Amino acid sequence: MKKFGFLLAMALVLVTLITGCSGSGIKQQSVKGDFIEGASGGDAETLNWILVTDVTSNGYVGNTIDSLATYDNQLNVQLRCLARDVEVSPDGLVYTVTIRDDLKWSDGSQVTAEDYVYTLKNLMFSDWLNYPYKSDWQEQVDGKTVLVTPQVVNDTTFTITRQTVYPEFIYNIYNLTPYPKYIATQYEGNVEAFTQAPEFNNLTYTGNLGPYKFKEWSRNDRFVVERNPDYYLGKDIGAPYFNQYIIKLFGDPATRQAALEAGDITSTVIEPAEVNRFRSMPDIKVYTVPSTAYTLLTYNQRNNGWDGLKDKRVRQALSMAINKQTISQAILLGFAEPAYSFIPATSPWYTEEGVSKYGVGDLYDPQKAAEILLEVGYAVKGNDGSIKAINKDGTPVHLILATNTGSKPTEDMAFSVRKDLSQLGIEVEIKLVPWDTLLTQYMENKVPGSKQQPADNNGAEAVSQEPWDFILLGFSSNPLAPSGSNVFFVTTGGLNFFGYSSPQVDELFQRVRSKEALDKSGRQQIYAEMSRVLSDEQPVDFLVFSRRNIGFQKNVMGIEPGISMGYNFYKWYFAPAQ
Amino acid sequence: MGKSWLRDYIIKRLIYAVIIAFGILTITFILLRVGPNSPADKYLANIAAHGGDPAQVQAAIEARYGLDKPIYVQYFEYMGNLFRGNLGWSFSTSMPVIELIKTHWIYSFQLILLASIFAAILGTLIGIYSAVRQYTKADYAFTFLSFMGISIPTFWLGIMLILVFSVKLGIFNVYYDTTLPLFSLENLKALVLPVITLGTGMLAGYVRYTRSNMLDNLKKAFVTTARAKGLPERTVIGKHVFRNALLPLVTIVMFDLGSIVFGGAYLTEYVFGIPGLGQISFNAVFANDYPVVVAVTLISTFVVLLVNLATDVSYTYLDPRIRYG
Repeated sequence: MKKFGFLLAMALVLVTLITGCSGSGIKQQSVKGDFIEGASGGDAETLNWILVTDVTSNGYVGNTIDSLATYDNQLNVQLRCLARDVEVSPDGLVYTVTIRDDLKWSDGSQVTAEDYVYTLKNLMFSDWLNYPYKSDWQEQVDGKTVLVTPQVVNDTTFTITRQTVYPEFIYNIYNLTPYPKYIATQYEGNVEAFTQAPEFNNLTYTGNLGPYKFKEWSRNDRFVVERNPDYYLGKDIGAPYFNQYIIKLFGDPATRQAALEAGDITSTVIEPAEVNRFRSMPDIKVYTVPSTAYTLLTYNQRNNGWDGLKDKRVRQALSMAINKQTISQAILLGFAEPAYSFIPATSPWYTEEGVSKYGVGDLYDPQKAAEILLEVGYAVKGNDGSIKAINKDGTPVHLILATNTGSKPTEDMAFSVRKDLSQLGIEVEIKLVPWDTLLTQYMENKVPGSKQQPADNNGAEAVSQEPWDFILLGFSSNPLAPSGSNVFFVTTGGLNFFGYSSPQVDELFQRVRSKEALDKSGRQQIYAEMSRVLSDEQPVDFLVFSRRNIGFQKNVMGIEPGISMGYNFYKWYFAPAQ
Repeated sequence: MGKSWLRDYIIKRLIYAVIIAFGILTITFILLRVGPNSPADKYLANIAAHGGDPAQVQAAIEARYGLDKPIYVQYFEYMGNLFRGNLGWSFSTSMPVIELIKTHWIYSFQLILLASIFAAILGTLIGIYSAVRQYTKADYAFTFLSFMGISIPTFWLGIMLILVFSVKLGIFNVYYDTTLPLFSLENLKALVLPVITLGTGMLAGYVRYTRSNMLDNLKKAFVTTARAKGLPERTVIGKHVFRNALLPLVTIVMFDLGSIVFGGAYLTEYVFGIPGLGQISFNAVFANDYPVVVAVTLISTFVVLLVNLATDVSYTYLDPRIRYG
């Protein structure tokens, strides 16, 4: 009898171990509850992701279908649909992609390399569909724009071949998600039918490819996905652990935050001014994490900007008079850090060595800034020794700062810049305009009298419809592939609306996208040089990189705070009730 | 035979309504198309950020939705589809416009209906009370409160109600839950704060209108006559004075109803997260989603015209002396 009791006890221990742990050593949690995320800033446009460019739409779809890989908080690659990391040939031209063999569409058929290659060749590269990001898969060869060449090797392997080296191309591949060929072929060539296809608009094809399955999307209200028990990454550990994941949309941030406070939602972004209040709440946990969003003040170096802005020393003087600490501490309440280039501190390519830190420390000096303006002839010295900025013709300097409405911190920053520059005797007129207006009347430009279609960079002689001197706006940088910011800083860059041109910077961006940069230490050196040159040239004043504050109900477990904190969302769970 | 002139009048007004709606539809359609904005605008910076050609993508997006065709072709295609009951495809929400409206109209309708009932009944009662008790403390208090009600911004009131009744007291949900059954107590409870938010300004206005109209009528000779005849005060106020004061009040209530349908409920929907037509149409305007904007304008036009017609018809019952030729 004792022996039976011992065996029973051992059996119970064994059962406990088996049910409590997975083969991968991750503890299995119980599935319960709905995770409700409060969001604002607009709804998605479509779940037919190939048609859109907005982050929200891709975010919705991303809950139901994984890309090939993602990144953890240290920006290490985390494989998703990939069986192993992408292999790059020594010459940097051929990328071999091997996907898992347990990926299924909803009809039970296997997701194959053919689906990926079909998505690339027949959809993303097609002329009839006009995938908005086709340019990510194009390269310049002998002055011509050509597409890369995808090719099926076998059921789980395909290659993508380039003709030119671009070391950061691999990050485009990691982001790839497929359409099911067996459905997409029915709509091929008919853009209207493809746009309205129910399978794509209701995500009925996603099989076991994502932690959740589509359930409901009530426009401007809520997006609901339900647990996918067949999820290829979660089936061994019973993940995901929420019955439903719901994105609830709010128009007003105050209501969204009140919903978190009242316990009606599980998580939401907290505005900087509210962080301390939420931190004092016993049921709420607030995480402050870095982001890739930065704010910058562009200097108009086109012909309809102040002529002084074409002079590097004048730009340096202005940047020296604008206090970045005021912006990061007083306006963003410490939830930001001064920026000196477009590369965030979280990037492996970030360096401070040799970088000119305008706007902080020794390089925040309004008096010295005034003296520089005097030296270059844009200021006069009064009898009392004070220096005041003037134009070359002796008239007062009156400059226009344009920014978009709708963001209180951005508006506050505009007023802070105006106050700082007033110390130099520069009068700044602030124009708060809607985003569409900023885009079309201030940023887009064309050569006067020409038949050009307005664009963000129509060449050196192009000017915007409305004159301006500064535009204050936010951009985002890719910390792993910052060379994508070439569109802002190279002479022909598609978003170089401020007309900056530097042969040295053009060359550096060319080098960082060349064979020379295949070697990581070589790429590091190029990025370091680029940061140094841009911080010295000050084509724009990089103001701050923002941090995000995200509040959660305290019973949410499994969170790893960081720049990419949602990468393991499928393993988050609710703590058992006490 | 009854009121055959009224039937003719209604038919005539309905014909006018169709013509007016057609005109407004045409003007809206043309204004939206000749404007400088495109639904592709918001993509352009993103496209350029990826090294793409914004002009090419803009052309492709416009072609995808048929916006590259000449405006008269688009117009006739739209009208043809409209007569077949097809309001087009919403490119900012990726669904047929008719489905979008069918899904969301009820959220606005229930809010507007309940807020109007709440404001009209309570406003009228308080207005009558204030008029009958003119210059008493209660009258002063209601006057003060009604001026406050008129002055308080909807946006602020909504947030304050949420903070007090949802966050602090925990009586109501912070946001409106669209999963609640329509005809249920839970749904009614979820609408309490939005209805108060939307209805307060209207209520305050009705208090002032009712009080003012009642006071005007109380001074008239027929009231003195009624009282001299020995009629009870309740009958004098309710049957004689109030009935005469009702006519201008009905005009105001209907006018409010019309203006709310044209997006006046937007702020309340925005604060409480109610996905009604107000939010849908505002978002469509900012997204340059022409099919939705045109459809919502068309529907709102019809509603306003029908409300006006209903107002005119109601006059004939409230005041039998009124006749329309």
